[in-house]
Amino acid sequence: MVEYVKPITPSWCPGCGDFSVLAALKKSLLELKIPPEKTALIGGIGCAGGYHNFTDAYGYHSMHGRLLPTAIGVKLANPSLTVIAAGGDGDGYAIGMGHFIHTLKKNVSIVYVVMNNETYGLTTGQASPTSPVGFEGNLEEPFNAVLTALSLPSTSFVARGFSGLAKDLTTLMTEAIQFAQDRKGFAFLEVLSPCVTYNNNFDEWRGKVEDVSKLPDYEPTSRTKAFSLCLDVMERGKIPIGKIFSPSPDKLQPSLDVQVVPNPDEAPAKLDISMEHNLERYQKLLASLG
Amino acid sequence: MTKDISDEASPSTEGKSVPEAKAPSGPLKDVSLLVGGQGGDGTLTVADLLARYFSSQKMYVYGSRRIMSRIRGGYAAGTTRASVDPVWAQKGTHDVIVAFYQDAITFGQKELSPDGIILVDEKVATAEGSHVYSLPMSLTAASSVGNALYKNTLSFGVLSVMMDMDRDAARAVVQKRFGKMSEERRTKNLTAFDLGVKMAVDHVGEKPLVSVAKGTASGQHLTNGNQAAALGFIVGGARFFSGYPITPATPILETMQEYLPKFGGVVRQVEDELSAINMALGAAYAGVRSLTATSGPGFSLMSEAVGHAGMAEIPVVIVDCQRVGPSTGQPTRHEQSDILSAVFMSHGESPRIVIAPGSAEDAFNMAPIALNLAEKWQMPVIVLMDQALCENTQSSPAFDLNKIHIDRGKLLTEKELQEKEVYKRYEFTEDGISPRVVPGMKGGQYQATGNEHDEWGHVTVNLQNRNQMMAKRMNRTNLAKADLPTPIIWGEKKKGKLGFIGFGSTYGPIREAQTMLRQKGVTSRFYQARTIWPVPVETLKPFLESVETTYVVEHNYQGQLAMLIREYLGDAELKHILKYDGESFRAKEIVKQVEGGQ
Repeated sequence: MVEYVKPITPSWCPGCGDFSVLAALKKSLLELKIPPEKTALIGGIGCAGGYHNFTDAYGYHSMHGRLLPTAIGVKLANPSLTVIAAGGDGDGYAIGMGHFIHTLKKNVSIVYVVMNNETYGLTTGQASPTSPVGFEGNLEEPFNAVLTALSLPSTSFVARGFSGLAKDLTTLMTEAIQFAQDRKGFAFLEVLSPCVTYNNNFDEWRGKVEDVSKLPDYEPTSRTKAFSLCLDVMERGKIPIGKIFSPSPDKLQPSLDVQVVPNPDEAPAKLDISMEHNLERYQKLLASLG
Repeated sequence: MTKDISDEASPSTEGKSVPEAKAPSGPLKDVSLLVGGQGGDGTLTVADLLARYFSSQKMYVYGSRRIMSRIRGGYAAGTTRASVDPVWAQKGTHDVIVAFYQDAITFGQKELSPDGIILVDEKVATAEGSHVYSLPMSLTAASSVGNALYKNTLSFGVLSVMMDMDRDAARAVVQKRFGKMSEERRTKNLTAFDLGVKMAVDHVGEKPLVSVAKGTASGQHLTNGNQAAALGFIVGGARFFSGYPITPATPILETMQEYLPKFGGVVRQVEDELSAINMALGAAYAGVRSLTATSGPGFSLMSEAVGHAGMAEIPVVIVDCQRVGPSTGQPTRHEQSDILSAVFMSHGESPRIVIAPGSAEDAFNMAPIALNLAEKWQMPVIVLMDQALCENTQSSPAFDLNKIHIDRGKLLTEKELQEKEVYKRYEFTEDGISPRVVPGMKGGQYQATGNEHDEWGHVTVNLQNRNQMMAKRMNRTNLAKADLPTPIIWGEKKKGKLGFIGFGSTYGPIREAQTMLRQKGVTSRFYQARTIWPVPVETLKPFLESVETTYVVEHNYQGQLAMLIREYLGDAELKHILKYDGESFRAKEIVKQVEGGQ
């Protein structure tokens, strides 16, 4: 048995919301029996983005804001891998916003977990794209990633969890991973994950979160219902959490990875690129040029 | 220091001082045609038909284009040169001009040879002289084929008579060129060709005005540098390409889209160059030979990723199709001004290899080498091309698959991994290369990272580790030297009066300038640089000692290649021949600079 990388102790502040997310991730992977060598964890830059260092899976600490293209590259190269990208709200919704929207549009079967603490923790507490008006002098309305995700016709799985509700978070995480594992498309999970040092709103959020699945007109297969339910909850001053949207199987668009790499055993990473194997086809290609 | 070559390479023949038409003295062994029109009117199609025809007649072909960064309107011209001997540059004079726009006369006439003829689209453009043939090409195309744009294929029919072409072969070229289009369009193009033949016979007569010698080249490929490079990457085992459309790199993306999926590869057109390079990095990390291709602005956007790939030791290839910069610059024009960018781009200090093919054939051969170097030395490899090399059509000897081998370096198999007691991705080794694994292999898990890291890939600020890791990464560039493409020295075998150093598309004009100088009794040697970084001091030093005066010929303002060489060979006396007006060197411009500098 070869000795390989061991998880290191998280560098997060004691009590950080991200511990719950890491625990939920580990539990879900165990529950789904996905071994660490078949898992590629892609991290962004910021406190949250270092999460893969605290596991014994394959990890990749990407460039700031570029974790999604990186994760898509991994998945399209080898769809047999379980690919999870995770980072913070600054990484995902500020510097990485363009890729976020395009990832929703691309619909590749990866999981994206955003640990949203509504601040820039690692650079000591500046306003982030999700900070409320007034936070650290912020003048801009906060960005709502769940509503944005719902607005794209290619969106396939949208959920929001809360670090303070660990059990529910694990359920959502497991479902998101299973969804991507089945190659149904992109699974987006935002987690309200407080920064205990610069924006400790554990108590505030605990009082505000409202699980949409417990509401009477909950219908997660309907985009319209999901959208209006979220707005209803927000108008009451609450924050919608839970599995918000997941269309019925017959309404699912085929994921990009299924379209371009239908057979994972013939994925780019698994191809024989030797000259001996390909020579005849190469000769035909060159002959066709004239 | 000599720089800023003017556009006055040939005596001006503007206005009415048109040379008298003379009967050609014999078949031309080296013929050049200019077809000028407006953007979007299909002018370049005529140049393409001519290139295909002459290639089918076993001639060596070189085609170039001069267009604006717009789709419709503006002056757009294509040139086709065909020769019985290999050619890699524009001739500089034209034997035939086809004018669908007045600018073709205004600009093209300056470069018309004394025996040259001009074919003018009647009522669209005008020119005077006994060598001018004004025919109603657009009018006939509109009235008899149904659309004035068929004037292009019609003009090719006219030329087939005027230039004594093999009529069947020329018609077959039309048939093949439009073969993938609808039946209707193909038929209409053939009709236009036939109308052109008839028009020439009726108006000018059967007797050819220009005759061209027969060629003897065989097994030629007619491609531009972009297509050749793309094909080279495919046979070199690349199976992932992500890119964003940008002139003049787009044809690499398009060629990949056309062919790579047939080999099981994935090609993605993505939202921007940041996505393009990072997606390629993700795929490379997962074990696929991956690349992207871009030009100036996109190349700048990839800057951070070059350092990241160096830090995380991820093999990736980036093709930079240089164009005029900075900023948006001149998107369709030629320059070689990203040299220092390629060598030093990205903050901090990180390893990379920069190589530069000089012709389409070289681009095909160098592409698999780039992929090998990236995987063997585990760092980004930049393939530096330029607009003229990327977009100009040229004949290459049949691409040779026997020259290609695949070397994936220290990429472990599952079995090799299992035989290890400990696996550390960034392990310190003598040659600075750590064995690599890919996700999916049991027991090979590691953390790839752009943070400074220890051998496991974990973040650390340990001082000794930082020093060791920097040395590991940076030394590798020097250790890789033995594997890098070697220069080709053209001209005198041992010693010469003049020395030239250049790379990329200047290969053609410099070689032709050497021939012109030799005829004047001036001996020369030309160092065709194929590796830019690390600077190949070992071959440059003896070269510089073998010549009396060395000119570094490059398309930029600062003399960037000379700057790099001086950094390593400080005592070298280098003179500059520079051009940055957006056009390629003509051989005679180089000769003029040399003569002016002596």
